Amino acid sequence: MVSLTAKTVAYIDGSAYEMEPGDTILKFVDRHVGRGHVPTLCDAPQLEPYGACRVCSVEIALTADGPRRVVASCHTPLTENLHIFTESKNVRDLRRNIVELVLTDHPLDCLTCEVNGNCELQTVAAKVGIRKVRYPEGKNHLDRTKDLSHPYMTSDLSKCINCSRCVRACDEVQGQMVLSMHGRGFNARIIKGLDTSFAESDCVSCGACAQACPTSAISDVHQSKAIEATDSTRTVCTYCGVGCNLEVKTKGNEVLGITAPVGAEVNNAHTCLKGRYAFKFYNHPDRLRKPLVRYNGHFEEVSWDEAYDYIAKRLGEIKTQHGPDAIAGISSARCTNEENYLMQKFIRAVIGTNNIDCCARVCHSPTAFGMQKSFGTGAATNSVVDLQYTDCILIIGANPTEGHPVTGAKIKQRLMKGVTGIVIDPRRIELVPYAKHHLQLRPGTNVALLNMFAYYIWEAGLVDREFIEKRCENWADFENGLRSLDLDELERIHGVDREQVKAAALDYARAEAAMEFHGLGVTEHSQGAKTVMLIANLAMMTGNIGRPGCGVNPLRGQNNVQGAADMGCQPHQGAGYMPVDDPQWHETYEKFYGMPVSDEIGYKIPQMFEAAREGKLKALWLMGEDVVQTDPNSEAVKEAMNALDFLVVQEIFMTETAQYADVVLPAASFLEKSGTFTNAERRVQRVQAAVEPLPGTKPDGQILVEIMNRMGYPQPDYTPEGMLAEIAQIVPFFKGATWDGLGDNGKQWPIQEGNVGTAIMHVGQFKRGLGKFHFFPFRESEELVAHGKEFPFILTTGRLLEHYNCGTMTRRTGNGRIVTKDVLAVNPADAARKGIEDGDHVRIVSARGEVILEAQVTDEVKPGVVFTTFHFPEHLVNNVTSDVHCDDTLCPEYKITAVDIEKVLDEPGRQVHSSRIVPAEVFAK
Amino acid sequence: MADINYLPGKEPHAREHRMIFRNVDRAGWDTSIATYLKEGGYEQLKAALKMEPKAVTEEVKKAGVRGRGGAGFPAGLKWTFIPPNNTKPVYLICNADESEPGTFKDRYIIHQDPHQLIEGMAIACFAVGAKLAYIYIREEFPEGAKILEKAIAEAREKGFLGKNIQGTGFDLEIYVHRGAGAYICGEETGLIESLEGKRPYPRIKPPYFPAAMGLYLCPTIVNNVETLCHVKHIIQMGGDEYAKLGTPNNTGTRILCVSGDVQKPGYFEVQVGKVTMGELIHDMCGGLKPGRKLKAVIPGGSSAKVLRGGEVFKIKRGDAMVDVSLEDIPMDFDTLAACGSMAGSGGVIVIDDSRSISWVLNNLNAFYAHESCGQCTPCREGSLWMKKITDRLVAGQGAPGDIDTLDSVARQIDGRTICAFGEACSWPTEAFVAKFRDELVADTNPGTADAIVNRETLLAAANLAQ
Repeated sequence: MVSLTAKTVAYIDGSAYEMEPGDTILKFVDRHVGRGHVPTLCDAPQLEPYGACRVCSVEIALTADGPRRVVASCHTPLTENLHIFTESKNVRDLRRNIVELVLTDHPLDCLTCEVNGNCELQTVAAKVGIRKVRYPEGKNHLDRTKDLSHPYMTSDLSKCINCSRCVRACDEVQGQMVLSMHGRGFNARIIKGLDTSFAESDCVSCGACAQACPTSAISDVHQSKAIEATDSTRTVCTYCGVGCNLEVKTKGNEVLGITAPVGAEVNNAHTCLKGRYAFKFYNHPDRLRKPLVRYNGHFEEVSWDEAYDYIAKRLGEIKTQHGPDAIAGISSARCTNEENYLMQKFIRAVIGTNNIDCCARVCHSPTAFGMQKSFGTGAATNSVVDLQYTDCILIIGANPTEGHPVTGAKIKQRLMKGVTGIVIDPRRIELVPYAKHHLQLRPGTNVALLNMFAYYIWEAGLVDREFIEKRCENWADFENGLRSLDLDELERIHGVDREQVKAAALDYARAEAAMEFHGLGVTEHSQGAKTVMLIANLAMMTGNIGRPGCGVNPLRGQNNVQGAADMGCQPHQGAGYMPVDDPQWHETYEKFYGMPVSDEIGYKIPQMFEAAREGKLKALWLMGEDVVQTDPNSEAVKEAMNALDFLVVQEIFMTETAQYADVVLPAASFLEKSGTFTNAERRVQRVQAAVEPLPGTKPDGQILVEIMNRMGYPQPDYTPEGMLAEIAQIVPFFKGATWDGLGDNGKQWPIQEGNVGTAIMHVGQFKRGLGKFHFFPFRESEELVAHGKEFPFILTTGRLLEHYNCGTMTRRTGNGRIVTKDVLAVNPADAARKGIEDGDHVRIVSARGEVILEAQVTDEVKPGVVFTTFHFPEHLVNNVTSDVHCDDTLCPEYKITAVDIEKVLDEPGRQVHSSRIVPAEVFAK
Repeated sequence: MADINYLPGKEPHAREHRMIFRNVDRAGWDTSIATYLKEGGYEQLKAALKMEPKAVTEEVKKAGVRGRGGAGFPAGLKWTFIPPNNTKPVYLICNADESEPGTFKDRYIIHQDPHQLIEGMAIACFAVGAKLAYIYIREEFPEGAKILEKAIAEAREKGFLGKNIQGTGFDLEIYVHRGAGAYICGEETGLIESLEGKRPYPRIKPPYFPAAMGLYLCPTIVNNVETLCHVKHIIQMGGDEYAKLGTPNNTGTRILCVSGDVQKPGYFEVQVGKVTMGELIHDMCGGLKPGRKLKAVIPGGSSAKVLRGGEVFKIKRGDAMVDVSLEDIPMDFDTLAACGSMAGSGGVIVIDDSRSISWVLNNLNAFYAHESCGQCTPCREGSLWMKKITDRLVAGQGAPGDIDTLDSVARQIDGRTICAFGEACSWPTEAFVAKFRDELVADTNPGTADAIVNRETLLAAANLAQ
């Protein structure tokens, strides 16, 4: 290893160049002379060095005239003063001979091949100067058949050159191990699973293999590697909080394919099937293309002007008649920071109320609240890259391989490399076999389990006293709380053997650096925010804050749920989290917006619905949120929608909620707009329009600017640069952010002057000064207290890799053919007791309603627990979910519903939603 | 050895020095631990356990024993490559994947004297600090695997394996792992991958040198069966005494396996370098078949470079260069290397003038084409093309340019692959072409056109891409 400070050099074809630590010869030459100068077939920047094709061979010598030796440059470490000869006759001959041999078993249909012009074999062949092949036609593999079985993945292994890049991508990038090499020598060939088709294999369609393949041997239905596209735009995925960078290939105004940029800090050449392949929704025939206004009970297509006039008139009337607080807005975590900022500004400065909230309410509001209480900031303390430095990964109530696939894959890679994993989850999620501990608790008992977890750390004397004394407060209270715990009681509550809890707790505490991730299994509970604070306790009591490889890291569900809250789409805090009821900040906001704003805390989403039902809330503006389908207890939500006098919905499709609207404004999708998204690690990244908005549609930000102006507020026209500049003036942690300065990989907030980001927070000191310990005893969910006897099963919900929330987008893509329905996971013991078999239809009844789903008998859930997903709203899972909310933030308790289950027969006339297959016409092409 | 009786017809040759093979073909000998213990079995383990581990390694280094698997690397030195600050578990693997064509020695040790191997392994494990060892045995030795399993169980029962061996606090478990029938599993990093349950693709070095990053990326020592047996005798004799066997830098005994065109093929344990090629073939093996002349010898397993009958080598003796004829070559590591070949695995393949060189080379090429793992492009594609070309020669269809093509394919594999299989599969061709070019050329057919396929479609497209 070369020292960082000393400038050391090595020589490429006689010229000296500076070395960097960890250089291989190939990396070194790539950096200084350019990728491709030394050709290679099996090396790819996103993969570990492999050394198999030998095309990257170079000659090396210790002195300029010293004896030379041939080595594969990709895996040979660079040494100081080494002389590298990249173009000697010897290596040129060698490369040519190798490529010549490869071509003896490769088809000659380049001109009609989908990757013509973007084929690495072709480029290498041209580079090494193949003019003839000395070998006669012999046995070959040109007759292999294509695999077109999968909605996305394709293979044509006659084009395969056995470089194993796809196998390595599947292993090293995704960690799915679906692809492997079968047979040996000349008979070696790529197989999927146990030699099946892509469709029958366990492939998760991440496309890492297709991107890594140097030829068209593995590709996809979009032919993403073809050179047909004329333009390429780097943007950010809209499907989850990981924030994958995407390279969108377009021609004219059409998206042809998406790849993952090599070197992207978030997702180096990786993304999931949603990011890479599920984009065909953007020009789907179902897209809304005209503003709709409901006149006399029917939607009519109108011009934008007419729609704006109508909205301005109706909102003006309501404001005059009922006051600004009779109006509310719900922003969207799918939209950009700029749009969220505008939305809250519109509601606060133009309407004049703090009735603004966003869907963070229904997912991570407890995280934001709890972490603010403990640390002072409601955001991830560390970065995903810290996985490289951690010794222990604690995953609570999250299923990252499904919900946050790229981060999930990274976690899986680390666990496979031997990092200690602890999974606290009622389900045996995909990461469990790779983790050392699985604490399979009863749903809703996080507080009981985490208290016990903390107890054992304390009992074993593994508490970091120095950290606590220097940096925290309220330890004594917490310690007293731990002392008061009744372990027998806790064990009975959460149902996990205490020895298992102890072993995991000790591993967490003893790790040099332990990193925590959590998801909605923590937050969507009545004690959600309290659970977050208990997690913060664990990190503080073990000193796992403010350094690499540790921290408390929420896996944010939506692409910009962090940003939506940052921008002030919350009723109690404005842009930048300043309290709206604090006189000083109130004045700041009024000055900045140049308008009077309210200093009263507004409604949270559930309160909005309640106020609507009570007739107190008259108008609601929804930006990109399908509350009827996605909020709990659907019937009550519909009632609220019906009770409103005026409902405006900005949407890209005619959603269930939009059906209730008075005005529907056709918005643009993420592929058609520019701005910034902030991912789960506080990384503010540039979203850049790859195509023009569909005719008739407008980006959400543009719509908001126009209505603000229409209602008399002089908001300058929407540009991403201009909006970001405005935000940087009011949001302290965006202070140094500029559009150009964010660059390709964005910056993590707080962003200081000069676009300097922050990878790790709370270094040396907490944002709130001292980190605060909190103790909370376990309290059973009201849902179970009230209904647990009558409905003895606990229904918990989660998501799948293939779909995104209620599927508005994903189900209009090929993903809809991969997973076609929600099913109910039932433990075999329960199934046997209830006479339920795999595939049977099961009625799920709660105190509020019932739904019917198809059963999947599986031991991924414990007896007494059933699980389903919520991607197919026509199954109406939210008909049964409860009204119980987090005590502190009103985040709904989606994760617990008391239900009973019974097998039902397919009676005539009864609609059984579970087997409904999405009609083919829903899919694009 | 006067007190040892061997089975009729299996008596050792007078030139032999039986040490490792002392009990092979011995009358009244069996594989039970009782038999082994009667002759002082496991006494060397007990002795070693009373030493410091480092002292054991020191004796092995002093003995100068070189690996008997093929590479001839000093075993004691190999053991010292474990990083000194290592905190990970250390593993020892016995490579019993004996599959080099022409080699048949390890199987006799396993089949007839398994406890000798286990004792050697236990001493080696003690020396390197391994508490877990594996015997990776090739699939084709099912009986050997059973014998080893039984022997391990016996040794454990008698307290030579398991926890707290002989009350010394040293723990050791040995497991037998059966291969699935691939030559590449004899390559140490391929073997390690296979043992990990993966496809036996050899690993790149750097960084995966087994002594530092071997099995499960922990320090791992891989030694051949015969090498590990020597450890027992080194402890018994002391390193210095052992080093007196054989010749300087080529110490000890080794088992030569002779096959091919001799009257009495078989195995012979000799002191390294104390027997010449001529003595081996003409005396110990009873000479060539009547009326036949020596055409070629492959001296160290099928991948060793062939030596031509009647060939004279210039080698260094002291300060002088001397001529040595093939039959005068002492069978040691250094002289065979000086002659351009290698002692390898000890498999001596004798070829007389009844054999067609094209046929012999084709036979070898067929083997290597079948056994290439397929990881590296030059070897995967090249090994098959070498076979395709010698197929044509054998069929009388070779083109005049074929011999040059054959040679160039071999030279583009040699040294251009991740593992030594590249050399193993290309050396035969390189050597046969170098030494028997005329005979190979004679097998070509002047009427066959050189095969050149123009890839114009591809080239047009490739140029387009530029």
